[in-house]
Amino acid sequence: MSDVLPSVELAAERVAGIRGRAGVIRFAPGQAAEDGQLVRAARAGDREAFERLYERYARMVHGLLLARFGRADVEDLVQDVFLAAWRRLDDLRDPAAFGGWLAAITRRRAADHVRRPTMVELPEHVAAAEETSALTDAGTVLRTIASLPDAYRETLVLRLVEGLTGPEIAQRTGLTAASVRVNLHRGMKLLREKLNV
Amino acid sequence: MTEHDDYLWDRSGDADPDVVRLEQLLAPLAHRGERLRDLPDRAVRRSVVRVVIPLLTAAASIALVIAGADFAARQRGAGWAVEALDGAPLVDGRRIGADGSIRAGEALETDADSRARLDVGGFGTVEIEPDTRLRIVSARDEAQRLALDRGRIHALIWAPPGRFAVSTPSATAIDLGCAYTLDVDPAGHGLVQVISGWVAFEDAGRESFIPEGAICATRRGRGPGTPRYLDAPEGYEAALATLDFGAPDDPGRAAALDLVLREARSRDALTLWHLLSRGSPDERARVYDRMAALVPPPVGVTRAAILRRDQPALDAWWNALGLDTADWWRVWKTRWGRK
Repeated sequence: MSDVLPSVELAAERVAGIRGRAGVIRFAPGQAAEDGQLVRAARAGDREAFERLYERYARMVHGLLLARFGRADVEDLVQDVFLAAWRRLDDLRDPAAFGGWLAAITRRRAADHVRRPTMVELPEHVAAAEETSALTDAGTVLRTIASLPDAYRETLVLRLVEGLTGPEIAQRTGLTAASVRVNLHRGMKLLREKLNV
Repeated sequence: MTEHDDYLWDRSGDADPDVVRLEQLLAPLAHRGERLRDLPDRAVRRSVVRVVIPLLTAAASIALVIAGADFAARQRGAGWAVEALDGAPLVDGRRIGADGSIRAGEALETDADSRARLDVGGFGTVEIEPDTRLRIVSARDEAQRLALDRGRIHALIWAPPGRFAVSTPSATAIDLGCAYTLDVDPAGHGLVQVISGWVAFEDAGRESFIPEGAICATRRGRGPGTPRYLDAPEGYEAALATLDFGAPDDPGRAAALDLVLREARSRDALTLWHLLSRGSPDERARVYDRMAALVPPPVGVTRAAILRRDQPALDAWWNALGLDTADWWRVWKTRWGRK
């Protein structure tokens, strides 16, 4: 229960954003501090604290991996990344910097995974066979995004697939807001050119 | 940068049609909320650095602790009056005296035969039912914080909204000016029933808003569920439990959603509005269609915007629900929520 004490204080801070996008975990000021508290609890063996970190960052990890690999590979890789993070929590010097640290683990795990962008496994309702335009084929779009430089494809997948806003991407990945904004702008420009839209 | 870049950046400004189309096309590929698989035991590593440095810093910390003690005492507040209503409730293991008080950091416990009443610093009262453990986290005027480990409390609070909050193992109940009953079972699962006013239930970014006459469950590790009115159609409780806390592949999920949508009245838009942001894209689409039939979305709120969980669109529809105290809630959001 000890983790409840700080979280109740932070919950009050989050009241400002309490009507944020329900169902999608949205961060507010104090999030990094709460991450730190969760990390410290997880280091002591608190699985629930780590599960809360998973709930917060699963989309980010999923997006970073989806920018590189087909969906069939990504689900397992997400679990691999969090398992590695769980085992290596003691290596994290600043618990409040969990997001950036986890993003680095994700990229390293991706580098270890030899397979490169492959066919994307899609839900049946996503790509209608009779539709051929680039903007009606999720697989084509995702493969096109995956062909862009790392910085662009990561931010575009987090924004367009995972539904994070630019500020949220910056908070979770540890990048500056300015970098994320530039990456989104330039990445979208390149994507438009490649898709001819 | 253009206006369209503003939309690409944070969804503000005019929507870029290409970005909107891409969002709609790619959203089904997003993380689907799979649960984290079982974690192995992890050895807690205690390196030399982590052992020695704390020892070295401990001595320096002692001086700071002493210097800060007075400040901390002032931060905790002078404590609140507490009285026994039945039996012999305990404060940190001591029986409550004639002029009992309780301070931040202390716990109030009742057994099967005892009850107590807490005066929340002149901002309200909390009655503590039998077999309850309640801790005082902060007793400052500007932040009254309790933690309900187990049991039941009835809170009647007239403090400014947001100042009073009760943490439970599965969610935090933030008082928005109201009276409510909060239960926590031995497993840490919770239930709030609002008698008057509003309560916000929150955990790790997942929120539920419970108005007068409504009830909402929470589950440890899952956060707050979907609120429903006490007079909600038969079967709602079980169906919402399946939707909120069941596995994503629960075979009963489709039937549960069928029931919620089929039986929904206009009044149950409260429940449907919360479901607009939860569940799979297909489920949310079904919720949209049913809710639109009950309470048509205001002009400018599109199906696509709702399905991509566009916050301004969700807010606009919320405003159209006609909940009695919605305006009051909005005023509070503006006046207090930005502090």
